[in-house]
Amino acid sequence: MNHVNAVTLTILVASFLLVTLIGFASARWRPAEDPMHLNEWGLGGRGFGTFVSWFLLGGDIYTAYTFIAVPALVYATGAAGFYALSYTIMVFPIVFIFGPRLWSVARARGYVSPGEFARGRFGSQGLGLAVALTGILATMPYIALQLVGIEAVLTVLGIGGGTNPVTRDLPLIIAFVVVAGYTYLAGLRAPALIAFVKDTLIYVTVIVAILYIPSRLGGWSHVFGVAQTHLTSTNPATGKPFGNIVVLPAGEWAYASLALGSALALFVYPHAVTGVFAAKRRDVIRRNAAMLPAYTLVLGLIALFGYLARSVPAVNAGVKAGGNNPQLSVPLLFQSMFPSWFAGIADAAIVIGALVPAAVMSIAAANLFTRTIYKELIRPYATPAEETKVARIASLLMKVGALGFVLELNKTFSINLQLLGGIWILQTFPAVVIGLYTRWFHRYGLCVGWLAGMVYGTVQAYRTTSAVQAHFASSAAPVLGHITYIAIVALLLNVAVSALFTVIFRWTGVQDGWDETKPGDYTADPVSAPAPAARTRRQDPLATR
Amino acid sequence: MAPPAPPARTPAKRPSTLVTVAVMLTIAIMGSLWVPIFARTQPELGGFPFFYWYQLILVPVTSVLCWICYLLLRTRRIRTQPGAPSRGATPQGTQGARR
Repeated sequence: MNHVNAVTLTILVASFLLVTLIGFASARWRPAEDPMHLNEWGLGGRGFGTFVSWFLLGGDIYTAYTFIAVPALVYATGAAGFYALSYTIMVFPIVFIFGPRLWSVARARGYVSPGEFARGRFGSQGLGLAVALTGILATMPYIALQLVGIEAVLTVLGIGGGTNPVTRDLPLIIAFVVVAGYTYLAGLRAPALIAFVKDTLIYVTVIVAILYIPSRLGGWSHVFGVAQTHLTSTNPATGKPFGNIVVLPAGEWAYASLALGSALALFVYPHAVTGVFAAKRRDVIRRNAAMLPAYTLVLGLIALFGYLARSVPAVNAGVKAGGNNPQLSVPLLFQSMFPSWFAGIADAAIVIGALVPAAVMSIAAANLFTRTIYKELIRPYATPAEETKVARIASLLMKVGALGFVLELNKTFSINLQLLGGIWILQTFPAVVIGLYTRWFHRYGLCVGWLAGMVYGTVQAYRTTSAVQAHFASSAAPVLGHITYIAIVALLLNVAVSALFTVIFRWTGVQDGWDETKPGDYTADPVSAPAPAARTRRQDPLATR
Repeated sequence: MAPPAPPARTPAKRPSTLVTVAVMLTIAIMGSLWVPIFARTQPELGGFPFFYWYQLILVPVTSVLCWICYLLLRTRRIRTQPGAPSRGATPQGTQGARR
């Protein structure tokens, strides 16, 4: 792996430069009358139609880490890794149900982050703060993991790494400084435009790989056969089989609860909420719920790369040489199966795939910080221009923090935190999603429930062990005899505690908060009025319906 | 925190439409949530065990179900510009938009 392939590297670097140009140029895309408003920097002017939203949401939800980690899981454990496909199948019917309500109330009230909704709906700064902090905490390791995706590609290419502390992390640092630069300048417009490049590269790579690689490996029957033989052999570390090619009855609960928990969590993640809020119309959300599954299909095919990689001896040898790191399997598969120029395109798809979500995530976290923490607690009378300034700086700090995660702490720590992040973020579900439908819960009841869910989830995740890890070995733990995703159990506990304390607080007469939203806000579709997007339509050929 | 525009409300749908939508979305969710349905290898299709091709086919099926639900719940565009055809704007819809 020490030999750097010049062709692959050139194509990768050229793609990166192209994207950098687009990123900086995007500041001039759909110019706004007042660029220093948080609606502009943080939500791209709330003017993205079905077409742009499709690219942005797809580019944002299906992250580089997913594209590396899901096939890695399939490579290592087989069918269990396919929960990611099930989860991205069921997530869109779920979004179809509550996405439009969340969009409407945010549009009607001018919210830019889920924390503001929780604060406004339940009249509780504390609850808003809890949602904002959870979002920021869950997002930072997620950004860090985007770097893990880039790192896997660079390792296989043979750049970075090594012993020299300056050059070792230099490519990563350069990549992140550049992303931080155009995110600072252009806000959400940058990832929205770059998503076009990212998604095109991903679709091309996946279609070519799925048509080309299996025939070289002796067809799908052979690929599944090799995988099954490997998975049912005994893992020397645990004394049990590595996995299976289908989910066994004992694993069904874990599989289903992981899929459901991830699906429910996805659309309370700040970066997904930001993508939803940036839509121009209520209809855009529902149309996209029907159209985004195109990416799910891609994810399913990418998951199958894990099996393809298993059939290639060079990949198995490379994974072993890289310290038994299955995350190298997909880049290694590209390297050993594709001509070097196409391997460059495929690698670029992963690297650029990391930049889009990293940018959206840092913007989402910055929006949360600015509106729920800075404006609520520090400067209540901040002007829109000041908000935008603060959000820009916050987005830089998020990136520096994420970079620090990867460079200073070890990678396992980021992965553990991301696992915890999934559990944590689901604890905002009652305030954000159940809150869309009912105000029955007492504001402090929700706070207590949130705390209970957070503590339970963290402790349970900490206690999971495996043959190789003493803590944070898994995101599922046995509950009542079934291995279940911790986040789901924590959520049930959260709702139960919230309900219990709601009854107690009502009974003892603790004052409830004031709801600033009106019933009509939840179905509002302020489009027939002159929307801010209308004035830019003429200048922009991409502004579709 | 003034609303950027006076909210135009989406008119309420008939209960039968809502039930149809609920049933279709439930099918879409349960298709991938109810694991015992597809946790098997047979029958195979083109070398793919059932577990895999079922889920890959479920993706476009879910997509179509969501699209049908979108069509059922769609609100007709209400044009407020003078002179524009107001075809399809129901009386209560127009009223809602003008509030």
